[in-house]
Amino acid sequence: MSSRWYPIYQKGGPQLRVFLPNFWMKLVKPKHEQPPNIVQFACSMEMTKYDIKNYLEKIYNVSVVEVRTRIALGKTRRDPGLGYIVKDDDTKYAYVTLPKEEKFEFPTLFPKVSTDLEDYEKTIKQSKDGFKAYVDRNKNRPGMPGWFTI
Amino acid sequence: MGPLSKLVNLYRLLSNVNNQTKHLPFTTIARNVSTTKPNYDLMEFFDDPKNWGSNEVKSGRSWQKDEMRLKSNEDLHKLWYILLKERNMLLTMEEEAKNETMLFPSPERLDKVEESMENLEAVVRERNKAYYELETGETGERPGRVETGPFGLKFYYKMREYKVPKHMNKKWQETHQFYKHDKDVEAFLLKYGEKKFLSKRRQYKRDFNHVIGLLKRFPNMDMEALKQQYPDVDIEKAKNNHKCRGHFVPK
Repeated sequence: MSSRWYPIYQKGGPQLRVFLPNFWMKLVKPKHEQPPNIVQFACSMEMTKYDIKNYLEKIYNVSVVEVRTRIALGKTRRDPGLGYIVKDDDTKYAYVTLPKEEKFEFPTLFPKVSTDLEDYEKTIKQSKDGFKAYVDRNKNRPGMPGWFTI
Repeated sequence: MGPLSKLVNLYRLLSNVNNQTKHLPFTTIARNVSTTKPNYDLMEFFDDPKNWGSNEVKSGRSWQKDEMRLKSNEDLHKLWYILLKERNMLLTMEEEAKNETMLFPSPERLDKVEESMENLEAVVRERNKAYYELETGETGERPGRVETGPFGLKFYYKMREYKVPKHMNKKWQETHQFYKHDKDVEAFLLKYGEKKFLSKRRQYKRDFNHVIGLLKRFPNMDMEALKQQYPDVDIEKAKNNHKCRGHFVPK
């Protein structure tokens, strides 16, 4: 039968094989501090603890000791314009425990924007150059407004 | 035949195979095999570190159906997992960018991956269908039929398997009272049909008035193009409308 339709499981029936799983998982930064061997994931709503364990072990080759899951309720809010109520989707979170000796630290994906003096001077220089170019451009036509150009 | 002679035969067979492979030209054995080691790690959930914080990440186009039709089932199976991992990576990066209120670079990558996955599944489905038609004479697709819902509206019902057949399932029969064409349904259908009819008529009226406005402002426009864009509108009738005429005596 087709790739997204599985027969119902009867006792004694053959074990179902999933060839093209379409579950998604994303690694998220935990809101509260966790032990170094615990990783938080957001995952598809349909995934069970066993699915999560198998997914990580078979696809990502990560050894998993324990999986705990929770479902976070999506926020309910009013539409700012028309005032009807909107509810965001619920999310399933999984807390995956790695073996004791393994450690995972969420990397800093967006390095902090440096507010050094060097950068400040660079921007000042840029704007000065821009103004000079503007003056040079309008040297031969005094009194012409800045937006006018051919 | 004793176990020893079996072993000897097996040894001969294997040595024969080895000899044969020696004589084959090299090109027939060589295959393009990627020698890069797959990086199995939790860091697979993140993009390449050199793309962190960049404003743009260059990427190719998505996989097309025609390209995937050339691939074996095994290759497609591998490709599916590559795409799955890529999607997980992009989702992770997107989420983190949202958390940090930063720009997620090149969000079209996600669409490309999803399109590839859809195409892959379509190709697998094609093969499945061909196989089933060859073996059983049926498509192997999920069967379905058009059903009438409780309000008398038709919908497509995708059939599925049940543990207990319908005619034996007392509880299901009690809880699932299906469509009965009674007074209420009739009243609903009447009003529903009226609503649909009115909306259709309004749509026609709107188009007709719009065409009049267009004719008034642009009397010399391409009538073929107008006809193509508004096939339902009677353009001759619209031309004769008094709103369409200018402030001059017609010739």
